[in-house]
Amino acid sequence: MAGIWIFAENHKHCLELLNPGQKLAQKLGSPLAIFLWQDKELIKDYVSHGAEQIFVLPPLAADQTLEAYVPLIADLARREQPDVFLLGSSLRCKEMAARIAASLNTGLCSDCIAFNLNDSKALEMERLIFGGAAIQKVICVTSPQMATIPAGTFEAGPAQSPGEVRIVELADPLPSVVKLIDKKSNAHQSANLTEARVVVCVGRGLEKESDLGMARELAELLGAEIGCTRPISEELHWLPEDTCIGLSGIKVKPELYIGLGVSGQIQHITGIRDARIIFAINNDENAPIFDVSNYGMVGDVYKVVPQLINELKKTIK
Amino acid sequence: MPNILCCFKWVADEAYIRASAGKELDLEWVDYKISDYDRNAIEEAVRLQEQYGGNVSAITVGKPDDTKGLKDALSRGPEKAYFINDSSFQNLEPSQTAAILAEVIKSQIDYDLIICGEGSSDLYAQQVGPRLAEILSIPCVSFIQKLDIEQNQLIVERKVDDGVEVLSLPMPALVTVLPDINSPRIPGLKDTLSASRKPVVDIGRDDLSGNFESCLQTMAINKANMERNGIKLGSEPQDISQLVDALVKQGVIGGVK
Repeated sequence: MAGIWIFAENHKHCLELLNPGQKLAQKLGSPLAIFLWQDKELIKDYVSHGAEQIFVLPPLAADQTLEAYVPLIADLARREQPDVFLLGSSLRCKEMAARIAASLNTGLCSDCIAFNLNDSKALEMERLIFGGAAIQKVICVTSPQMATIPAGTFEAGPAQSPGEVRIVELADPLPSVVKLIDKKSNAHQSANLTEARVVVCVGRGLEKESDLGMARELAELLGAEIGCTRPISEELHWLPEDTCIGLSGIKVKPELYIGLGVSGQIQHITGIRDARIIFAINNDENAPIFDVSNYGMVGDVYKVVPQLINELKKTIK
Repeated sequence: MPNILCCFKWVADEAYIRASAGKELDLEWVDYKISDYDRNAIEEAVRLQEQYGGNVSAITVGKPDDTKGLKDALSRGPEKAYFINDSSFQNLEPSQTAAILAEVIKSQIDYDLIICGEGSSDLYAQQVGPRLAEILSIPCVSFIQKLDIEQNQLIVERKVDDGVEVLSLPMPALVTVLPDINSPRIPGLKDTLSASRKPVVDIGRDDLSGNFESCLQTMAINKANMERNGIKLGSEPQDISQLVDALVKQGVIGGVK
């Protein structure tokens, strides 16, 4: 038996992972399979993105969460012996992947940002370590080779004419002793920030919460979204947690990133490495943010930002 | 009254790694610290003990000379530590660490609750906690931001990508904690002094029977190149207009309302 398996929490992420999955399936001569547990209408979509097998997971009781599928998926993997198992790296999938990997006694590359197949048909996978300061390249010497992959790492491929598909309905899982009591959805959505063309980011260089007004004015002028560094959301609670940019927060990829009083801790830098232009204002000329900036302005944020706003008003009509 | 075990890792401090200093990753001069999120794990264990009683032990896997981390951990409140050490226990990958911890915990530790940080600040693979739970066959919830004990059940708030879930689970159990769960106390002089008098159970390679072979092989570690060789400006009016001109030329501003 063989297979390239895909599991992700949402539809978009599934399509993203099917794209590299399909290329691997072709190179390894192994069928591409994906898990599904809700809307069977999605099968068509998955098939037109290369899926040859669909594993349909049974519905869960109201007090169960997706993690209840872990024993079921691990058992299926023991029977079918896939070559590769790629999962999304949402918080929930990270836990599921680690538990499945432990159950199968295999290796897992967490938050894989790139991979390629080497001459001996092993995946060479890259991930960030030391808060993003270094890149670790690993191979998994056990089977299946597993990785979790952040959303947005790959793009979904175009829809193709669908091929044949094998649909496998899986049996009910045993209920987990972990019970869901309540769920609160995020009121705020950070989707705007991850897709934003311009991001204004505030850091500890701002002294008080009311100083956010100046950042907001700048953001409004540029049609930008506001993000922040970890201390701002976590210690000071000036902005919601899902606007925190960095390794453990969200990653942004704007055309322009403006850092106001951002010192440039490595964990934060990791979240902005895909920005096209980075412009930082900080009064400490040795702030690490300047090493990774395209434009660095050494100066007092409180003096620079109002002048910058005036100058921009003249330029942007 | 729960027996609580918290896991910690002694890691190179990434703050000593600058994005600019050459291409090689040089760890020779870095300082070491308790992995950031593990401080929250220790703090949460101690906080629960203050609230519900019971006892708190800390456990780590490392090299024999990592004793500084042991003292640091004990100064944060646990009354006892398990130090699993061998010169080969460095650069372990998560499956190895989890297997080593599991063998020791199974064979000699009574526990109701195991608390881990959400990930280590060096590798940040976020695997050891859930892997350990799986090997021990106990329930697990990761990425929690609130923890209570009610009638021998854990009630936890865990973060997911689109919100927060409240879950219950029976003990023994394992949780991994997010940094928002608490603010770790800073040990005082008295804590540091008393730490060196606390018992440490020393466990060597000979005390363990597993193979602990790695599932992941590291082929290379390279410095992430994030340098941009940017232009540095002052903050005079001419600097500001020069900057705005540059941003317009780059096409990143203008053309916007």
